[in-house]
Amino acid sequence: MGPKIPLIMMILAILGFTYMLLPIVVVVLAGLTAGEFLTFPPEGLSLRWVAAFLQSEKYLSAFFFSFKLALMTMIVSTILGTAVALFLSRTRFVGRAAMRAFFLSPVVLPGVVVGFALFAFYISTGIGLSRTIWGLWIGHILYSTPYVIGTVGAALAAYDVSLEEAARSLGSSPIRAFRKVTLPNISQGIQAGSIFAFIVSFGQFEVSLFLSAPNSEPLPIAMYNSLRYQFDPSAAAAGIFAITLVIASVLLTNRLVNIRQLLERQ
Amino acid sequence: MAPSDRDDGRDIMSAASHSLSHHSARYQQHMKWLLVVPLAIFFVIFFVIPVGLLFASSFNPQKLGQVAVTSELTLDNYIRFFSRSNYLWAAGRSLMLATIVSGITLIVAYPMAFVIAKTENPARNTFLLILVLAAMQLDMVIRLYGMMVILGDNGLINQILVGMGVTDPERPVQLMYNFLGVVFGMVQFAMPFMILTLVGVIRGIDPSLEEAARSLGASRWRTFLRVTLPASMPGILSGSLLVFALSISSYIVPALMGGFRVGVLPIHIFQQVAEGARFQFGATIAVILFLLSAGAVAIYLRVGARRSGGLA
Repeated sequence: MGPKIPLIMMILAILGFTYMLLPIVVVVLAGLTAGEFLTFPPEGLSLRWVAAFLQSEKYLSAFFFSFKLALMTMIVSTILGTAVALFLSRTRFVGRAAMRAFFLSPVVLPGVVVGFALFAFYISTGIGLSRTIWGLWIGHILYSTPYVIGTVGAALAAYDVSLEEAARSLGSSPIRAFRKVTLPNISQGIQAGSIFAFIVSFGQFEVSLFLSAPNSEPLPIAMYNSLRYQFDPSAAAAGIFAITLVIASVLLTNRLVNIRQLLERQ
Repeated sequence: MAPSDRDDGRDIMSAASHSLSHHSARYQQHMKWLLVVPLAIFFVIFFVIPVGLLFASSFNPQKLGQVAVTSELTLDNYIRFFSRSNYLWAAGRSLMLATIVSGITLIVAYPMAFVIAKTENPARNTFLLILVLAAMQLDMVIRLYGMMVILGDNGLINQILVGMGVTDPERPVQLMYNFLGVVFGMVQFAMPFMILTLVGVIRGIDPSLEEAARSLGASRWRTFLRVTLPASMPGILSGSLLVFALSISSYIVPALMGGFRVGVLPIHIFQQVAEGARFQFGATIAVILFLLSAGAVAIYLRVGARRSGGLA
């Protein structure tokens, strides 16, 4: 690790990483406990709660509901977000920074408020979206698209636009030059952005709170509703599958784009 | 898309571009705006208008079960909010919580960001970033489940304390279902955002500054305090504002870690709307929360550091 890092920094960082990751490890162990109730350390390991999760109507249907919703969200967010990222990288006008901030703003604005606003909007306009998967879908698109814009924007920032201009000057049409030259260069950024969109939707809680219906809940809502009253180890088993999905997504993202460049872009 | 579709598309597009080839570059400049139109329409219909209507309904008189916006205007809801100590306390508690969490998260996250930024081995560096990113992307309910197992009355920490004979099993140490528990959960929630904001800034510091300080005889610690820390101020400021905005907005953390005993603004919104069907007063609290969060975000943008790659 080199001599540059003072020892005390190293110790504090290790404590910090422990704080960040221990709860996740605990969920995995809780889902694998052999005991009747959730205790820590677990009374031996077993797959009984994993089996219970796989047989439970509640969590399994919530898991697949979230999966479906995340796929639907991913498709729309990737298309709309990529278009906007292209636009932002190709134009210079007053208000461009404001436009970018506007499209990224849902990430940091209160999800409960936006969910409530959509909920009231659906009811008062009577457009039939209240407590449907379509209404949830709209809320999730708002929160997932910014991640596509950010990731594709980073890929575009690293891409030399003169390549496309060269193709154009050799007589290629704008669309063709884009498809044959630019798209292959940024396609990994687009794929990484779509993975982000998927995983953000899959874990989305705050927006879903007002928008989900009692019988078709996304996984985070279903887990929350059971966690309010009791610790259910099969919820932790559901968590193991979600953790696996997130780790797989992040590893895949890492293969597609340089995570260091993506996250540390100045 | 099937290959034949693609070819058709290409023919149509190239034919179109030939017919347009004599048009000015200005025309193409206009065409670019088509890229932004779909999302702009989506955001206007499903973000600007709903939030606008929410703002409007906060100025309507409170009427149980009434959702639609009416033309009757009143400030009653705001007067109610600012004249009841219950709600003023909630606002104060929210502000205090977000401020405390920003401070603690900074202290916890800075050494982590420092170590990540100074780790030069690319594989090790990527590994650490993957850990941070995975934690950030993981559903908050799952992370809080883990926190509750650790901090609960019969949780890991209390089991250890009882085992050591420090604590009476009948009277466990209260680490959650109170303000403290909410702080623990919020720090867990906010850490990855703070780390990612700081790493870019710390890595951006010119290493020759630190080397100069060292070569002039400053200790490693003094170099850190006098050179590295001041140079990371922009990241500290923007990271803290980001964490402030995120933690004042969170419903799930106070709901689970506070067990509804820590009444912050998002909890009050949910109770007014979902349990009381008081849409107008709920909207008023929502507007106040929205403005507090947006205010922090606006300052964050002015600070101008979007160093987490636009992801935060």
